[in-house]
Amino acid sequence: MKIALTGNPNSGKTTLFNAITGKSENVGNWPGVTVAIKEADLKKKYNQKGEALKVVDLPGTYSISPFTGEEKITRDFILGEEPDVIINIVDGANVGRSLFFTTQLLELGVPVVIALNKSDIVSKRGDTVDHVALSKELKCKVIPTTATSEEGLLNLINEAVQAGKEKKPQAAPVFEGMDSADPDLARQKYIDGIVARCQVKTRDASKVSTSDKFDRIVAHKWLGLPIFFLVMWAVYSFSIGGLGGYLSEYFNEVLFGEIIPEAATAFLEGLGVHELLQALIVDGAIGGVGAVVGFLPLVMVLFFCLSLLEDCGYMARVAVVMDRFFKKIGLSGKSIIPMIVGSGCAIPGVMATRTIEDINERRMTTILTPFVPCGAKLPIIALFAAVFFPDKTWVGPSMYLIAITMIVIGGLLLQKIFVWENTSQFIMELPDYKVPSVKYAFFQMIDKAKAFIYKASTIILVCNTLVWFAQAYSWNLSPVEDQSLSILASLGSLIAPILIPLGFMGWQMAAASITGFIAKENVVATFAVLLAVASEEALHIPGGALSQFFTPVTAYAFLVFNLFTPPCFAAIGAMNSEMGSKKWLFRALAFQFGVGYTLAMLITQIGSLIVYGEPAVGFIPAIVVTALIATFLVVIIKKADTKRTELGVEA
Amino acid sequence: MLLSKAKSGETFNILRIEGKEKVKKFLFTLGCFEGEEITLISKLAGNYVVNIKDSRYALDENMAKSIVVEG
Repeated sequence: MKIALTGNPNSGKTTLFNAITGKSENVGNWPGVTVAIKEADLKKKYNQKGEALKVVDLPGTYSISPFTGEEKITRDFILGEEPDVIINIVDGANVGRSLFFTTQLLELGVPVVIALNKSDIVSKRGDTVDHVALSKELKCKVIPTTATSEEGLLNLINEAVQAGKEKKPQAAPVFEGMDSADPDLARQKYIDGIVARCQVKTRDASKVSTSDKFDRIVAHKWLGLPIFFLVMWAVYSFSIGGLGGYLSEYFNEVLFGEIIPEAATAFLEGLGVHELLQALIVDGAIGGVGAVVGFLPLVMVLFFCLSLLEDCGYMARVAVVMDRFFKKIGLSGKSIIPMIVGSGCAIPGVMATRTIEDINERRMTTILTPFVPCGAKLPIIALFAAVFFPDKTWVGPSMYLIAITMIVIGGLLLQKIFVWENTSQFIMELPDYKVPSVKYAFFQMIDKAKAFIYKASTIILVCNTLVWFAQAYSWNLSPVEDQSLSILASLGSLIAPILIPLGFMGWQMAAASITGFIAKENVVATFAVLLAVASEEALHIPGGALSQFFTPVTAYAFLVFNLFTPPCFAAIGAMNSEMGSKKWLFRALAFQFGVGYTLAMLITQIGSLIVYGEPAVGFIPAIVVTALIATFLVVIIKKADTKRTELGVEA
Repeated sequence: MLLSKAKSGETFNILRIEGKEKVKKFLFTLGCFEGEEITLISKLAGNYVVNIKDSRYALDENMAKSIVVEG
């Protein structure tokens, strides 16, 4: 049996879904958290007979006719997939609005059971909703629930399963004027009547509440932006420099730097394993994967903090604060949410662009979101900061600052390059603040940690083994003494010329950047493998083995190059589905590559001139490339300008 | 008058909604249509925070201009 969960955005569907299935799908206190269909089996506690029961969590919607992309997913599922029973989650704190969608659902004929959710909030407000009367009005079962504390859920599931088994077609609501010229207006009047009969309100919602007073501070004209920066700075510095950084340092230096490799070597020697295989396991697998897993605490702390932030209701306010600024670059406040989500991982970040109604705005957000350093890029930042800038705390935060700058410049450029009419309008529900659940944040963190370890022990392990093999063998499959004669060196050399204007000399940089497209952590792992073989020095110590490849300036440029060129393959896949066409995906990737490349080049060349008083290698090619890029930009912007005048569109 | 010209803290009856059909329909599903009440709670960072039925929404100036209220 298939049970579908439907309801308004932010009514608590995913919280309920997590409670009854034991999953830990992302929940947040803003409308539009769920943008894709999630399916799972019921937890044993709610399915004691062990029946075949599937639960499907759908994106929230206010109506059966969709306004945004994720709402369309819901409509298509309900109409196309024919669930056996629909659980409609009605936000008890806003029954009047919720019932519009409810009455539309009741007309489909599929059995509906209503979960009157957020019962705790309703009673705290001193309001009451008579669920018995509501049930009579709507001719379907109404069960009061509180998804956060799992109250009423067993009852809800039992009723839903029974309704699904009976297969009795749902009676459609009958109301005056349903055949009139404006049936929706008649529907609203009908709902008003039901609400008047079933709900007793003691609170006047139109009065200024504590939440409103709080909003006036955090979304204040002048204070809003500094508060937002302060909050984000706190999150990232706590993750990178604070607790996360501290634990990672221990992991890298002691656990994966000494204890594990030494134990593994001793163990393998004891077994009498062949030296080459030993090297593969210790240098290739443990060295590479260890270099990545060492950063696990950092990623865990980041996700813990982000999840608290998403759960409290602040995100919707950030959208309001940023709306004014994002309007200037052709976006709206809604675009900030994919970007913050993207600071954990670009994939859900890119998917979150679905909630944006305007197609151009959505495309632009999809292109710009991967600029925000994600969790997988943190190891690269942390490694390069530790080796080249040991005493400088600004390096980590500066990446986020560059990200913001590039989003602004990128937005302005995209508006110039493409002929886009700005028709964006911004509307965002502001849910009441709530105390974020530490328990949920903890589970989210564990979940993300598992995913990180899984990734490290699958994709990254495989890549590492390949990298180790490719740097240890030549094309005729005989082991090489000198890495520069290896397969990897010859592959890297093919790409290396492109990197010359950026001041990156050597096939190693090319090899690391390429593996980075498979997963960004690979950049760290590849260097770990290459250097574990070539050098005795530890990877993470200040002035460590990496300094043979970079000056601090080119190191910084390399960091920027890896952060701002296109994201990993998985994120590119997500971009593909949101961009809607291959042509747009190609344009997006070209744009991202252009931005990352140009930025790294400028940092290397200008930085070297300023810091060392002399140009870096590849100065002349860099000037040529800069001239080419500038000409190209001028030409396409001119072309777009002509088209704009033709169409009468303002830039 | 337009909602964008209203003062914070006042409740109005909506006269009509102007603009694109799709946006009108969306506002309708939230309970924002002719004859309904809307309260302007505050003006924040260029946005208008309003109460419609029992929920708060932030609207940008363009949207606020498309809502015509009595008064």
